[in-house]
Amino acid sequence: MLSTQAFETDFWKDEQLRKVWDQIVPGEPRKTLPYTLTLEAIQKYCRAVGDMHPLYFDEAYAKNSPYKGLIAPPAIHILLMFACTPPDDWMRSPGTINAGQQWSYNVPARPGDVIRLEARALDKFIRRDRLFVIHDNVFFNQHNQVICSGRGQTIRPA
Amino acid sequence: MSTAFDTIQPGLTLTGTPFSPTRESIRAFCDASLDYNPLHLDDDYMKTSFGKTQFGGIIMHGMNNFGVISRMLTDWLYPLGGVHRRLETRWKAPVRPGDTITPAAVVTARKVTAKSRFATLDVTVRNQRGELVASGEAMVEFPDMDAQP
Repeated sequence: MLSTQAFETDFWKDEQLRKVWDQIVPGEPRKTLPYTLTLEAIQKYCRAVGDMHPLYFDEAYAKNSPYKGLIAPPAIHILLMFACTPPDDWMRSPGTINAGQQWSYNVPARPGDVIRLEARALDKFIRRDRLFVIHDNVFFNQHNQVICSGRGQTIRPA
Repeated sequence: MSTAFDTIQPGLTLTGTPFSPTRESIRAFCDASLDYNPLHLDDDYMKTSFGKTQFGGIIMHGMNNFGVISRMLTDWLYPLGGVHRRLETRWKAPVRPGDTITPAAVVTARKVTAKSRFATLDVTVRNQRGELVASGEAMVEFPDMDAQP
């Protein structure tokens, strides 16, 4: 299964379109895009973190496992966060620093899943002269099952 | 019912596979995560001031750390029939090309609930100098062996 989707790699390109800390409204939904998760994308992520478990690579092994087929590792939301958001999303603002994350996992994502994200800023505050935003996110599959949900804390560029 | 849970006791320790980021691995993580923040790509940008923080050069994605911790948990859990249910992390220090980071965890508690069985763990990631670069907590489940993960 080959990916046909192209993603912007220059995060400066749409910088003027993105909301800065002052404009981010806690509670307001972020724009999101559906994304079809491919086996190629799963395996690219796995290779990048050195995770070569056969549940992600060996179809015969995976079919005989309790998962009954190939799955994505739980942390695939790392990819999904950017795959399911448009180029002008403020998570792409250059200089955004990740301060912490908390994620809960329900059902595994699988190759071929059409993933939907519901996301918003939840809170924003100033601490030790830094601008923080808390964002919360829920990823669903095409059966409307929750794949995972989580919150992140980022320090925003001034 | 799985008997694996019976072997999980507070104090049990896990050590994950060390990970040694390079400029190439960081670029590969950009391509895999679609996160092309210049923090991870542009040395000149990273020589600028970030308020109180000075990085001096590109750094590894914090979420690469997250993936390394998550892999430690799934490598331990899959053979036991366990399920990775939660991971919370805080980044304590940047990781740079040339560092080697190693995740570890220790079981802190077990909990039998109405429908299943869980354990909690404290997780850490340290670099080659023993400095703490990430810390957090995880929760894992040991469901009935016949239950769908």
